[in-house]
Amino acid sequence: MGYLSGEPALYDRLTGREHAQYLGFLRHNVTPKRVEELSGRLTLDLDRPSRELSKGNKQKLALVLAMMSAPPPLVLDEPTGGLDPIAQQDFHDILCEHTDAGGSVLLSSHVLSEVQRVADRVGVLRSGRLVAVERLDELRSKSLHHVQAHFSEPVALEAFSGVPGLVDLSISDHTMTCSAPQSALDLLLKRVSLHQVVDFECVEAELEETFLTYYGEGGDHAA
Amino acid sequence: MLRSVLLKTLRDQRRSLLAYAISIGALVMLYGSFWPSIKDQPSMSDFMNQMPEAMRSMFAMSGADLSTPAGYAKVELMSFIGPILVILYAVSAGNAAVAGEEDRHTMDLLLANPISRTRLVLDKLGAMIIGILLITAVAGASLLLSGPVFGLSIAAGKAAAAMVHLGLLGLVFGALALAIGATTGRTGASRGVPALVAVLAYMVNGLASMVSWLEPLQKLSPFYQYGGHDRLRNGISGPAVMVSVLTVAGLVLIAIWGFRRRDVLA
Repeated sequence: MGYLSGEPALYDRLTGREHAQYLGFLRHNVTPKRVEELSGRLTLDLDRPSRELSKGNKQKLALVLAMMSAPPPLVLDEPTGGLDPIAQQDFHDILCEHTDAGGSVLLSSHVLSEVQRVADRVGVLRSGRLVAVERLDELRSKSLHHVQAHFSEPVALEAFSGVPGLVDLSISDHTMTCSAPQSALDLLLKRVSLHQVVDFECVEAELEETFLTYYGEGGDHAA
Repeated sequence: MLRSVLLKTLRDQRRSLLAYAISIGALVMLYGSFWPSIKDQPSMSDFMNQMPEAMRSMFAMSGADLSTPAGYAKVELMSFIGPILVILYAVSAGNAAVAGEEDRHTMDLLLANPISRTRLVLDKLGAMIIGILLITAVAGASLLLSGPVFGLSIAAGKAAAAMVHLGLLGLVFGALALAIGATTGRTGASRGVPALVAVLAYMVNGLASMVSWLEPLQKLSPFYQYGGHDRLRNGISGPAVMVSVLTVAGLVLIAIWGFRRRDVLA
């Protein structure tokens, strides 16, 4: 199993290559080629003692060490902390190759945009308890859309109150704003079209906002 | 040197081990070089004999005769400075083994690999034993070298016996440090407690002949197993070796048990 701790620690005096040798011998299934390939892709210098590495480079080395024995499941805790955007992209590519080859990854992250980019299934932990597990595409179907409609004449709030799942519905003068899950869009549109529409806007919210809406305050530790 | 936990541990210790080996070798030779000027001076023995008995038995183990090579080596090397160096090495190795690695958070990295905690403790113990062997071998070789060089002649068998007991003395305290470190994960306790126990054990052994209530405790002291029968004159003591080995084995079992049953500090 490949494991990356949330706060990876390394041996100060060992270089990256020495780390890979030592842990590789303990794991029996690591080839130097794989180590070179991974560190090459993440642009990591394997010949410097880890105490001389920056936070980002330490994180890269910890990632290489976690992923160097290729096939088994990976358990990664906050893997992109300290990584620059390019390294994050490279890392996500490596993860996708891993899963395409049939490998599985358990990734824990506070960065929901990252979860949105790489995860297939998402579990939500709130104060140590798993409060939800859903496929990301199911979650997408629940994902909120910010809807704004301008009408040519004033509209009553009641005109939309029967639509299930609407959040933050408000009407000021000629304008209706609300957040709607994907499943409510059809009914909402039909209600909107009963009136004369001047302008209509519908934007999908970030996953983050969907999370916060469904799973409440502070419950934003996703895995 | 990175092919196992044992070799990696020795690799980590290479500088300090070298320093210990050089120090103890140099120290033995230094005391050896004093021998030619001491041996013909009866006043030294008189001086020893005039010391208060408590002091004599604490620092020199009573009954040492400074006018013989064995007695001189015992007083100058084997009673105090030799044990201190070996115990110092063993306790720092025992402390670094589990508690030290946890303190630097690298235990997390190590235990994420397919290696059992039992194996880890045994590898670290193995490295400690090899380290102690090296230090005592250098001390023993220097002592034997002092024979032809300074005339401090001690029979090779007797010197080897003394070194075996010296090594076991260190190993007992090293295993204690290992057991405390593995059970608690705390470096303070795994360094401090063995040091405290060593001082108490030293005092119990030294003062037992004068303080009657300490006498029953004397045989519990590792220092009694170490020096009670004057190894440089009488050679190896089977029962004392047995007691020491069993003590070490018990402490190692505690270390394994303690380490396996708890959460590691990440």
